[in-house]
Amino acid sequence: MAKEKVSADLKASLVVFLVALPLCLGIALASGAPSFAGIIAGVAGGLIVGSLSGSNLSVSGPAAGLTVVVADSIKACQTYEAFLMAVVLSGVFQILLGYLKAGKMANFFPIAVIRGMLAAIGLILIMKQLPHALGYDFDYAGDENFEEGKGHNTFTDIYYAVLSPNKLAIVISLSALTLMNVWDNYLIKWVKFLRFVPGALIAVFVGILINMLAHDGLKLTQEHLVSLPTNILNGSINDIFVFPDFGALNMPAVYRVALTIAIIASIESLLSVEATDQLDPSHYITPTNRELMAQGSGNIVSGMLGGIPITAVIVRSSANILAGAKTRISAITHAILLVITVVFIPSILNLIPLSALAAILLTVGYKLTKPEIFKHTFKKGYDQFIPFIITIVAIVFTDLLRGIGIGLIVALFYILRSNIRRSVYVVNDGNNYLVRLNHNVSFINKDVLRRNLYSIPEKSHVIIDGTAASFVDADIIDTIETFQKAAKVKHIDVEIKRSESSSHPFFRK
Amino acid sequence: MNAIEKIMLENKAWASAKLHSDPQYFERQVREQKPNFFWIGCSDSRVPANEVTNTEPGEIFVHRNVANLVVNTDLNMLSVLQYAVEVLKVKDIIVCGHYGCGGVKAALHNQSFGMLNKWLRNIKDVYRIHRDEINAISNEDKRVDALVELNVKEQVLNLAKTSIIQRAWLNHQRPAIHGWVYDIKDGILRDLIRVDHTYQLDPIYRYDENELR
Repeated sequence: MAKEKVSADLKASLVVFLVALPLCLGIALASGAPSFAGIIAGVAGGLIVGSLSGSNLSVSGPAAGLTVVVADSIKACQTYEAFLMAVVLSGVFQILLGYLKAGKMANFFPIAVIRGMLAAIGLILIMKQLPHALGYDFDYAGDENFEEGKGHNTFTDIYYAVLSPNKLAIVISLSALTLMNVWDNYLIKWVKFLRFVPGALIAVFVGILINMLAHDGLKLTQEHLVSLPTNILNGSINDIFVFPDFGALNMPAVYRVALTIAIIASIESLLSVEATDQLDPSHYITPTNRELMAQGSGNIVSGMLGGIPITAVIVRSSANILAGAKTRISAITHAILLVITVVFIPSILNLIPLSALAAILLTVGYKLTKPEIFKHTFKKGYDQFIPFIITIVAIVFTDLLRGIGIGLIVALFYILRSNIRRSVYVVNDGNNYLVRLNHNVSFINKDVLRRNLYSIPEKSHVIIDGTAASFVDADIIDTIETFQKAAKVKHIDVEIKRSESSSHPFFRK
Repeated sequence: MNAIEKIMLENKAWASAKLHSDPQYFERQVREQKPNFFWIGCSDSRVPANEVTNTEPGEIFVHRNVANLVVNTDLNMLSVLQYAVEVLKVKDIIVCGHYGCGGVKAALHNQSFGMLNKWLRNIKDVYRIHRDEINAISNEDKRVDALVELNVKEQVLNLAKTSIIQRAWLNHQRPAIHGWVYDIKDGILRDLIRVDHTYQLDPIYRYDENELR
């Protein structure tokens, strides 16, 4: 059993590594940081957060959701070294947030919104990776925003990509997709020992192979391939690592930036672990305060070594789960793979076509947003489906955090509405009416209660039962008392049900 | 509104609340009952089988009478037992008494209740078997509670003496029979005895296995 788990983890770690590599580079690029800073962040996420987090399957690293914040923050801190100080400090703040039990925040994300977020990320992956699959590499890998700058957005990129596709890139992405599908769904069932090799790895090998065998005129140029610095081993320590400037601790901007990063990274991490728990086949619940402290430790280490800030990240986590990871060994190993390959074989990594990696992300995207998820949520009713769909649309057309914000507002509306509907409950048997107050009844339920009371016909008998309500507002008692007076005129006989165990004295015996 | 009208109204409220939280609730109920438990309890209004076990309609098959007795000539109880064991194929039978039982208390006195005497006589018989043990207790309430427990155990053995149970044990190795007592003071059920098909019944009560098959 333990042996099986380890081999499942090693296999998943390969997939996560392949997904993480271009994301680390792309997100660093988009953040306006050195590309190596993205790798450091990925390694810190895998090694530090991977070891300290209470989650088994969540993967942490540089996050697309932070790129705009990071780009602005570097400007605000003036130097990159001062910005690194802010990253370290944000880690300290996150650990504090964990001690203050701010992880409770996670309980306030409605499930429909989390599901919507996952499906939206799947859709974004598909739409953002389509141009890469077609060989149009304008946007950086791992962008989750709709607007990409310079007049480009998600849709224009797909349009440009269709206009000027790269034939070889299409051949590579199509072969990679087909091969992965056949490999993961059929081949490993026929040939048992093949299941230790992930389809994603095969896709990458085939991508490299096709590009190498292609005619010179067709060969993909470096802009369509992974690009890593190849001279890490030759440089001195100070060439590789940038260290934080502790002198920057007297700059107020550093504290402001640190606080901003701490809060946004914490929210993004909590959302990600909530989503990861949703996908986790063992339905494990990640302890959120410990997660904040683990994330904080990760950011301290990343900042100390020159890396950009990290969060728990959904694309890598879901790739990890979908690839069959069982324990944290997978997340940790993906970081070790990042280090080893980036240090020792960067020139081999630089042979990987972006279109082959796009094929891997397309399959992850499809699994996150496949039609069954929509059908399943639709069956749960409109109060689940509408926040779900609106979250998806909002995330796809804005960005992750803004989209979640919009989704939360819509979900809150539906929660309030169902609370209003459920807290006042009326049944009748002929002329006999029972008006029951459930849960919390406050001024927001007053309108429903009043409408119900005043629609009771003349000469009826009414029992008003608030004995089971846990909280009854003074406004509600006032409404009932007013109704009692009005009832006399309509010859309605009103009885207030009382019990020793009622929480409000009005209904107590 | 009189009390009867009130409970009719409460029924409507209950049905509509059930339907609200689970629109298919009654559709499922209509199909069939598939209870795993058969409960023999006291008629006392404070010991409702579903409420004290937090079970839903459909989960427990119930027979209740005064002082949860299993009387070998009681056609009513025997019919319910046979249906539970042979048709519903329940896996567990629960005989549940409760402390402070009025029937048991009455049986410990000499007041005559007319027809009810014949029923309570069964409890007096249990007392006669354990007379010394019960008489050793000075506190009146404790004496009643001791007889409540002994009565539950006796009724569990009475079930084992029926051919219905012996046949089910022989052919299907079920049901297990549990003797429980419910404490009205704290709402807790306590386990007193459990017998199953491995139980060594007094040979005089055993029926010929060839005829049971």
